[in-house]
Amino acid sequence: MIRIDTSSISVLNPYFSDTAQDYIYKANISAFNTNFGGIFVVKKLGAKHHRIVFTTELGNKIFDFAFDGDDFKVNHILKELDKKLLINILRNDFKVLVTESPEVEKAYLLKEDTVYQTNILGKNHFYFSGQNQLYKITKVRGGKSKVEFLFSEINDNIAQYIEISHQNINLTIKLKSI
Amino acid sequence: MFSYKHFFFVPSLRLRSEQAKTRVFMAILLVCFAFGNLTAQTKMSSSEVAVLKAKVRAQSETTETISSDFVQYKHLDFLSNDIESTGKLAFKAPDKIKWEYVTPFVYSVIFKNEKLYINDSGNKSALDMGSNKIFKQLNQLITASIKGDLFDAEEFTVTYFKKERKSEAHFEPTDPEFREFIKSFHIIFNNNGEVEEVKMIEPSDDFTQIIFSNRTTNQPLSDAIFAQ
Repeated sequence: MIRIDTSSISVLNPYFSDTAQDYIYKANISAFNTNFGGIFVVKKLGAKHHRIVFTTELGNKIFDFAFDGDDFKVNHILKELDKKLLINILRNDFKVLVTESPEVEKAYLLKEDTVYQTNILGKNHFYFSGQNQLYKITKVRGGKSKVEFLFSEINDNIAQYIEISHQNINLTIKLKSI
Repeated sequence: MFSYKHFFFVPSLRLRSEQAKTRVFMAILLVCFAFGNLTAQTKMSSSEVAVLKAKVRAQSETTETISSDFVQYKHLDFLSNDIESTGKLAFKAPDKIKWEYVTPFVYSVIFKNEKLYINDSGNKSALDMGSNKIFKQLNQLITASIKGDLFDAEEFTVTYFKKERKSEAHFEPTDPEFREFIKSFHIIFNNNGEVEEVKMIEPSDDFTQIIFSNRTTNQPLSDAIFAQ
């Protein structure tokens, strides 16, 4: 593992960075042994402004979040899901999805990959980049991976598949671009 | 009294030429034209409502099966384009419904015996609607979107409009809990009293619009279609 000088290094998550693009995914969420699906929508509205909406296949809105700079707003959430704990988990996960260029604290070369240590919402996140493409983000606490974000089948800065899996709770979100 | 004149000719506006006057006149005409188009949808008289109800009911009573294609447009105000999906619908009297998305994803729901059977690209699950009033009302709306016959349900306030040769019924849920999901539900009927289009408007004014095509009625549909 080789440490790199970070003064001139930045890392970019380009997967939700185009304001002209409507990012539409078919989602499968497995949470605490229940499975449910829906449509996951991300739209970039400004430099650091994103909307994230989740609806059922039939179109009913389940939640509607706005990330604007450091602000986070719940525009809508089903009453049954309106739990602070759940909203915090979703906010933390989605904040990672829409953060385009987190500040790099350290960077390493690890085999073929470049690994960037960054800080999002006060937590360590490691960005793994291979062949100049970001393919994994790992949220780490106490030396252990807590949440993993995988990006695959990347075309034209769109990740066809995204998987968010939590290691310490039973929650996996799978997204497939449609 | 308020008039267009007061609205458009603010006192400071001086028209210097005939040409400018013409331009303003054209603009007003354009606005009136647009406004006129809006009012082309007029409220029905009570006798017209009775005719529509009778037509839809007759349609509904003689309908044993329906199969149809549909296109769904999900409108979210912040998106550049509506999310478009297509699928097929199958209905068998009295209460079996299959609602199936074919593109851009494969997903189906079957409503049968107060249960909801979901097949999400091979992942199957079932939900009991019997105890859930929201599901019951949703099921009512889905049945209504197919058969149209929902006029006297006390869960909705209904208003009727006519537009050219088509009729439109707007259902507004009376239950506050259901109103959190749906502000208004619009059904557009063709001249034969068949449902052509459905629009489900959320409290935020985002909406889901479903347009039916290739409708065939009373062709035999096997029970296997509704099996999961």
